[in-house]
Amino acid sequence: MMNRLWKIVDLVKHMERHFMNNFFGHPPKELAAIYVHQTYSKTAPTKKYSLKDLIGDGYLMAVPKFRRTVEKRWKRKFGSPDYVWKMIVPNKNIKVCQECGHHHELGRLCENCYKRIENETKLIKDKIVEKLGNSPIDKEVVILYENEAPEQKSEFWNGKRIVEMKKERPSWFSKNLLQKSTQEPSDSKDVKPIDLA
Amino acid sequence: MNQADVSKLVSKLRIRVPAEPRKLRNIKGPEGRIDKLRKTVTGLIKYERIELNSNRGQEARQYAERLISEAIRHGDCHKPTMDIADYWLLEKELIHKLFKVLVPRFQDSNTCYTRLLNAPRIIHSRNPDKVILELKGNPYPVLGSNKMNNRFLIQNVLLDAAKYDYRQAKYAEFAKKIVNKEEKIDTTETEAPSIEKQQSDDKLTQS
Ligand SMILES: [Zn+2]
Repeated sequence: MMNRLWKIVDLVKHMERHFMNNFFGHPPKELAAIYVHQTYSKTAPTKKYSLKDLIGDGYLMAVPKFRRTVEKRWKRKFGSPDYVWKMIVPNKNIKVCQECGHHHELGRLCENCYKRIENETKLIKDKIVEKLGNSPIDKEVVILYENEAPEQKSEFWNGKRIVEMKKERPSWFSKNLLQKSTQEPSDSKDVKPIDLA
Repeated sequence: MNQADVSKLVSKLRIRVPAEPRKLRNIKGPEGRIDKLRKTVTGLIKYERIELNSNRGQEARQYAERLISEAIRHGDCHKPTMDIADYWLLEKELIHKLFKVLVPRFQDSNTCYTRLLNAPRIIHSRNPDKVILELKGNPYPVLGSNKMNNRFLIQNVLLDAAKYDYRQAKYAEFAKKIVNKEEKIDTTETEAPSIEKQQSDDKLTQS
């Protein structure tokens, strides 16, 4: 920036001198302190300088014209902390999964656990679609693995669609213990509120 | 049961709705956007757990929540609600599922009906962020249930109680030991100074 500015300043000075000399002529010689008259001895005319002599068969490459400031050089090298910071910084949002011990990003699911669950989910999904198809689904779906049917009472299966998986339940897939095993007795005297809003 | 739950009197989504909608880029414009969301809501009701791009999942979640809450509020005999369900569910057999399965499932819940989780991503990849959108109470294995540090988990409660009992027993043991020691010291000390005292008394009498 400064380089270019000085260049412009030089240009202006040059222009000024040029115009002053053209319009007002040179200053009178009497003003000069010493005037030395010099006569140049006539020598043999030198050979005209040509760029070809210098380059020959080669060619010229682009080179930097101006000096790059320290700030610019450092910015290029390290980046700017506010915009693009090129230095290596420690990543602080990595956590260890409590279940499998793999690392995962904070606020996201563990990749290892998710892959496992995703595969199982896909199997179950396919089984449900295969079993129920396009028929209207009007009942809650229950997944049954092998050797699990006799554990529940018969009334548990009322109003539920059973989808059987033909394999053992994975050890990490725990059963839902909060599911009600029996329906509420129908002779309760409680009345649900209606027309309240 | 006979008292009305005040929170259920007012129709209100149980999730935070941001001021500005997410962008879902589409050639068809706003119309295509709604089409996309209808497809997603239909898929969510059908499969109960789906993986989506972040924007689409977050936007579709609001519509799914609204649909379920309307269904719970008005039931299946309400014409406008039926029209809404008919519009948002592209597969018509899912309307049965909405009213016969999801309404009983969520009738008494006090929280939102869907769950939105961030899917894992490859670090420094340029893929869009993925989310997993699921209905609560689905039959699939539980995602992201990291309760091991939860103080109220039954195992942790039991462990805490066991630790407490063990410590109490140890404290009692220590206290007993200290009391025994003090008694011993007391018995020895009461004997020893008495002799010195007698000697000093003798000295005093001699002088
Ligand atoms: Zn894990």
